[in-house]
Amino acid sequence: MKRLSTTITASLAFAAITALDAQAQGANVPGITNSEIKVGSFGPLTGPVYIYGKLTMNGVEVYFNKLNQAGGVHGRKLVLVREDDLCKPEGAIAAVKKLVHDHKVFAIIGGGCSNPTLAARPDIEKERIPFHVFAAVADGIVDPPAANIYTTQITASIESKAQIQWAIDKGAKKLAIVAQHDAWGRARYEPMIQDFKRRGLQVVADEEVTVDQNDGTAQALKLKASGADAVMLLGYPKAAAVVIRDSIKIGYKPLWIGQTAIQDLPALQGLIGISGALADFVSITTVPGHPDNPQYAEWRKLLKDTFPNDDLSVFNLMGIAAAEVFGKVLEAAGKDLTREKFLAAYNTIDNFKSSIYPGPITCKGGHKCNESPAFVKLENNNVVFAGTVALK
Amino acid sequence: MLMFSYLMATGITTGAFYALVALGIVIVYKSTEVVNLAHGDLFMVGGMLAYTCYVMGGIPYLPSLLLAVAGAFVVGILTERVAYRSVLKHGLASVLVATIGVSFVLKGIGRYIWGGKGDYLAFPPIVSPEPLQFGNIMIMSQQLVVLFAVIVVMAALALFFKRTRAGKWMQATASNPKAAMLCGLRIDRIYMYTFAVGAALAGAAGVLMAPLTHLYPDVGFVLFIKGMAAAVLGGLTSIPGAVLGGVLLGLAEQLAAGYLHSSFQDVVAFLVIMFALIFLPTGLLGARGLRKV
Repeated sequence: MKRLSTTITASLAFAAITALDAQAQGANVPGITNSEIKVGSFGPLTGPVYIYGKLTMNGVEVYFNKLNQAGGVHGRKLVLVREDDLCKPEGAIAAVKKLVHDHKVFAIIGGGCSNPTLAARPDIEKERIPFHVFAAVADGIVDPPAANIYTTQITASIESKAQIQWAIDKGAKKLAIVAQHDAWGRARYEPMIQDFKRRGLQVVADEEVTVDQNDGTAQALKLKASGADAVMLLGYPKAAAVVIRDSIKIGYKPLWIGQTAIQDLPALQGLIGISGALADFVSITTVPGHPDNPQYAEWRKLLKDTFPNDDLSVFNLMGIAAAEVFGKVLEAAGKDLTREKFLAAYNTIDNFKSSIYPGPITCKGGHKCNESPAFVKLENNNVVFAGTVALK
Repeated sequence: MLMFSYLMATGITTGAFYALVALGIVIVYKSTEVVNLAHGDLFMVGGMLAYTCYVMGGIPYLPSLLLAVAGAFVVGILTERVAYRSVLKHGLASVLVATIGVSFVLKGIGRYIWGGKGDYLAFPPIVSPEPLQFGNIMIMSQQLVVLFAVIVVMAALALFFKRTRAGKWMQATASNPKAAMLCGLRIDRIYMYTFAVGAALAGAAGVLMAPLTHLYPDVGFVLFIKGMAAAVLGGLTSIPGAVLGGVLLGLAEQLAAGYLHSSFQDVVAFLVIMFALIFLPTGLLGARGLRKV
């Protein structure tokens, strides 16, 4: 009897100490309890470009759910807290403040739009909260590096350089640009112009499109008149589709080189509507296959389980891919989780083969973890790997 | 010369887009003196309903078009009953604000229902997607469908206002609501059907133009701006004016993009609105008569 009471007393004491320890850790490390890790996210959930926030966050949540069903990370379940930044700088600043001070999250995985994420960077740095970028591509978010910010998205300047390199590698002599000149487009356009200058190349035609463009005849006519044999497309899918469609209409067929915003080639083909329209088209990709491909069957199912209205998209996969690396870093940070240990654990990510990103992910020694632009093309309505470029 | 021919042809076909949107704006304004700022979102609703029936549901095109137009008509009735009627007594400014609210609500519904299906939804063309040759230029066949639809809709509306009692009631209500009421017209019903007809027109435009504009919850905003510019230029009370304004806007956009720079293409609509408001407040073909008291 005495033995039993000793055992019970010892167990209660152990439980109390464990609880106190957990409470103590909770008090020191925001967003952490013994059973959960609260992770924040910000990006557009509403507004015209909600896809970069909402759908990417849906992807993150799907991956977190998968981890949670397997017991979480070191026994802690991941909880995602979302804040809408409306793709506006003031929205992102407010969202970060809310995540840090109201929700008291441990870390942030987010950043749907480039300019708002750039605007929020000073606050993120000041708060020293770990921030993993999942969609925004502006170089300034991680360049110059901030100790607490990492990205697994290929940044705009890397993509722009890769587009030019692809054209040169394919023997193109006259290069042209069709670009959106909004904040997103300029984040790509300006590094591209700099790279043209650095290489001593001339842009033979420099045309503008808008995100809601319904006709691209004027642009196509001017591209054709310039004699460009390769055209870099710095636009969203609709803008790219109308320019390609109207170029075909006037009989102009250059080599089109796209970037990650237009990596869903079957969708782009559907928007253009003319068979064979993408015969001379390649695009940089974050996801080296179409979301309908069999390799993503597991994600399609998991997404439907959580979000029955959604069909798996590239944006979902971008979120899943970023969350996979984020989860890997959490795991490497160990059970006694602190923000410092978590940030230090990014250095363990070296040549990590993600299940989605086409190239290896390396955060060791740098904050741009994804520097492997891969290209895809459409063959018989299937997305296939087209190759890579060596950036000089 | 070839470039000029292409720009003119594209200007006319693009102008037909804007005219189709402008016609819906004009018909509502003509009868109620309200600019329905949710008109572009009704365009989106029509297109999305057709997408649901035709692409997702596999229903043939014509029934899908009719269902989408009927659906937009019902949405038009609902918005009038729920959002506009109760604020109408507070003046037109209140209705205008209500239309902004409806615009946000419709966009929100659009994002909730269709927002998870990808960024842009491709609507298959109802005619061959290959361009057709006219002389030495090529034109997208779907653009000709829109051009044809504009002519049909314009003629139908002209007949409706001139030959039908409902059309005359609508004009009488717009001209003098109190007098119309004293004559026994139920102006609340006339307003309701006006908004519904405007919505149905927006829905039809949404279906016809979807293969060219593609569909997403915010597709209506830019088209509304362009349609509004066309309506203001042509005269907010004139049906032929809406068509003329649309074509002139389309031509101005193409010529500016072709001969100045492509960065001017989108600015033209705003310049047209400003120009028309300053120099042609009643538009090219709008009613010029001032009511003397």
